Amino acid sequence: MILVGLLLLVALVLPGLPLGEWRAFLLDTAQFAFLISALALAWDLLARTGQLSLAHGAFFGLGAYAAALAAPALGTLPALLVGGVVAGASSLFLGLATLRLHGMYFAIATLAFSEVMRTLVLKAPFTGGAIGLPVQPAFGGAFPLGGYYLAVGVLALAAGISLLLSRSRLHYAMAATRQGEAVARVLGVPVIRVKLLAFMISAFLAGLAGGVYAMKTLFLSPYDAFGLGRAVEALVIPIFGGLYTTTGPLLGGLIIVSLETWLRLRIGEGYLVVYGVILVLTILFLPRGLVSLFHRKGAGHA
Amino acid sequence: MLDGRLAYWRLGSPSPQTMELLLQTLINGILAAGIYALVASGLALAVGVVGIVNFAHGEFTMIGAFIAYLLFVGTGLDPFLSLGLAALVLFGVGAITYLGLIRPVLAAPELNQMLLTFGLSVALQNIALLLFGADTRVVSTSYQGATLSLGGLSFGVPPLLAFGLSVVILGALYGFLDRTRLGLAVRAVAQNRLAPGLLGIETQRVYLLAFGLSAALAGVAGVMLSVMLYASPTVGFAYTLKAFAIIVMAGLGNLRGVVPAAIILALAEALVSTYLPGGGGWVEAVFFLVIFVALTWRSWRAA
Amino acid sequence: MRKVWMVLLAVLGLAGLALAQTTVRVGVLLPISTVAGKAALNGVQLGVDQVNAGGKVKIELVVVDDGNAPATAVPALTKLMTVDRVDIVIGGLASGVTFALSGPVKQYQPLFLCIGAASSVVEQAFSDYNRFFHYHPWDYHNVAAALEFFKYLYDSGARRVAILYEDGPFGSAGIQTYRQQLERQGYTVQAEPFKSGSGSFTAILTRLKGFRPDILYWIGYDVDALPIAAQTRQVGLEPKLIYGAPPAWPTGFEKNNLSNDIAGMTAWLPSVANNESRRFVNLYRRKFGEVTDEYMAPMGYVIALSLGRALEAAGSTDKDRIAAELAKVQMDTPFGPLSFKPSDTGRTRFQGFNQSIWLQFQYLEGSRRPVFPPNRAARPLRFPGNY
Repeated sequence: MILVGLLLLVALVLPGLPLGEWRAFLLDTAQFAFLISALALAWDLLARTGQLSLAHGAFFGLGAYAAALAAPALGTLPALLVGGVVAGASSLFLGLATLRLHGMYFAIATLAFSEVMRTLVLKAPFTGGAIGLPVQPAFGGAFPLGGYYLAVGVLALAAGISLLLSRSRLHYAMAATRQGEAVARVLGVPVIRVKLLAFMISAFLAGLAGGVYAMKTLFLSPYDAFGLGRAVEALVIPIFGGLYTTTGPLLGGLIIVSLETWLRLRIGEGYLVVYGVILVLTILFLPRGLVSLFHRKGAGHA
Repeated sequence: MLDGRLAYWRLGSPSPQTMELLLQTLINGILAAGIYALVASGLALAVGVVGIVNFAHGEFTMIGAFIAYLLFVGTGLDPFLSLGLAALVLFGVGAITYLGLIRPVLAAPELNQMLLTFGLSVALQNIALLLFGADTRVVSTSYQGATLSLGGLSFGVPPLLAFGLSVVILGALYGFLDRTRLGLAVRAVAQNRLAPGLLGIETQRVYLLAFGLSAALAGVAGVMLSVMLYASPTVGFAYTLKAFAIIVMAGLGNLRGVVPAAIILALAEALVSTYLPGGGGWVEAVFFLVIFVALTWRSWRAA
Repeated sequence: MRKVWMVLLAVLGLAGLALAQTTVRVGVLLPISTVAGKAALNGVQLGVDQVNAGGKVKIELVVVDDGNAPATAVPALTKLMTVDRVDIVIGGLASGVTFALSGPVKQYQPLFLCIGAASSVVEQAFSDYNRFFHYHPWDYHNVAAALEFFKYLYDSGARRVAILYEDGPFGSAGIQTYRQQLERQGYTVQAEPFKSGSGSFTAILTRLKGFRPDILYWIGYDVDALPIAAQTRQVGLEPKLIYGAPPAWPTGFEKNNLSNDIAGMTAWLPSVANNESRRFVNLYRRKFGEVTDEYMAPMGYVIALSLGRALEAAGSTDKDRIAAELAKVQMDTPFGPLSFKPSDTGRTRFQGFNQSIWLQFQYLEGSRRPVFPPNRAARPLRFPGNY
């Protein structure tokens, strides 16, 4: 919890720190790091109910496209909200359809959903299709750090919701659902409501992250926005960092992006081999993820 | 542009032309199902028997494709003749992977195993990229464009060969699973991973065998892909994705259902490609839509 | 007194050296892990070697991988501009990535030498930026060059063309234009999308048998070349010409019999009969030990050489002086003569090559030779081809 607060504080003041000539590069990289960490947090939220989704690439993409299309008419912040809502609404549909699916079956169903969504966006007439969609920068480019602070905002929101949920009664309901739905029902947990609520919150956050991403890269294409790679990253980061926590996905996301960037700058060609090996070694020696380095015994909340 | 398609939607009794097109489409679908079934069966062994979601399965396919390509470039050996060697090599690779990486995480949560195989997949793919570059490489065999004509129908020789070999290999696999003691042990472990331990079957040996076989099947499929498509570090990805979908549709642990599921999906793809205007762009979406509907409908029906 | 002389001499000597040689740091931002990106980098390095060997100018390269995605390319450009502090950037291979770079480029104002990025979406994005030198032809140039070839084929009797296009940005970008223009030329057109890399064309090709196309034109990637060639024959579709337009062809394709009589379009072949091209091929072979097919290699080479000339003429490291000299550069290249003019649409001021660099080639017995336009043909086009 303290670590989370500290990280968010650093994120907030990063532009003001004396970073010298690396400042612009770090801020740029940090923006993308915040967004993928927010996505990872969103994924983890859903995972707490036992639903291991491969659809977060789709939620991200839907949010990105919805926000990009809405921005000229509504302005930046309302457009981002629209993005989140669209993603959330689609997750309601997906959540209802997959209520009775678990484990790999659930994962593949969400993957199928994601691929179908991508094709629909590809073929739809108003999305710019295969050629892509140019996007206006956040706030029309008026604030140079606008995009950066939007990313910080989304990350803080995701972390905040994650912390709140882990301290609420919902935490136990989600854990019970994850550990066994039948037993949870017997204990009086409204399983369906818990699952759907988690889905919608998770998708909403993912959609927000997608919208901010669109306004940063200024260009959307279905293959990039709905990338399967991103959905897998959203899954890999919480496992690497520590599942069912807030610190895990947050720290994990920042470290993974930093690691990748540093390796790419240092090693150049072949850096991904090292990256893959590091992932393998981490899970072999730190099965509980990075957070196990902080909590020696007992299960912390954050 | 529309008239070409309207010709297929004739009212009244189907003309010989439309019948021919339908038959040809069905044949195309069944031939394509061969490789799908091969890759999916391999994955089914890893997921259903060992219980590992093996993200690196596509990389085993890729290694098979490169073995075939390199042998071809080095010695001129026809890729189909290198099937045996590829199978052996990949079995070894699978066994080593199992002993070195998989066995330590068997008891770990499923998600950890996923991260492990994912990391392995990234590492393998990028090692291939380092060694060979991202180039697409093709082999050259005399029969690559050849075709067999029966009636008005044509069978491409490479897909026919691939299909025939898949039938033989899968036949041998299922014969092994049905009739030999070890095979039955494998099936027992697939159906209930706890019970066999109590019955005293050497579960470790079964796991090793299953994972090795899984990799070998992937490698064999890779060899076929090197002839029909190409060899490159990313050749395995698309087929692996579909393989995951196929085994889930068949049902995890249901090794037999893989072949019918592969056929159904390949047929759906073929029908969409042929009959839907602009079908080529929708094929993937239809594939996954079928999976989605099948999974969700089945889950609600079981209630 | 002698000390004073020595100091004076030393100072003069150093000043002389500094005046005699302008040293400039140039950033290179390319997708190094892709085949085209690597080829481009090789070409740039080769060109820089030549420039530095001349002694008058020294170019130092700072190479950063753009990762072939906006999320990695944008920070990479930021690093080049703020950490490495370069004033000149060679980059912009993929259109989508270059588009995403337009914002940061306009923010940091480097002299931007764009090696690829054919999409006119990029032309629009840079239309208000004066330090943008675009060497590669735009997509409308590519389309015009292809249409010229189609017109020639029409005059040779072709009437029906079937277009297979991959349903991503590369394949879908020009499809409407192609259809319109081809129909205007008098062709009957049937167009079908496909998923690149899927390798399954049997269904579409079977369907096209009823259409009996004279030309089978496919727009996709190298991974589609062999399946299309093989399955066209397997299905018994017998077009008069198979014409492919991928950005690159697979390695080993020329050794495969299925490639015979397949036509394609490229900006350059190692066998092109042109002094600059032969020089480039020799230099490349000496440095890298092989002959490359990728036209991005000579493109990078040309950019480096043109930059070298501009640096020499400017005699300074000021990017605007260099830009002014670059605008005046006229030189012979493996692609033909290079000079900068406003683009055809007028949106950008410095456009290097145009549709005239494109040539159509045909595979025959293991080699590719230009067959069109007639003034560049090494042998006649085989139409109808023997498939």
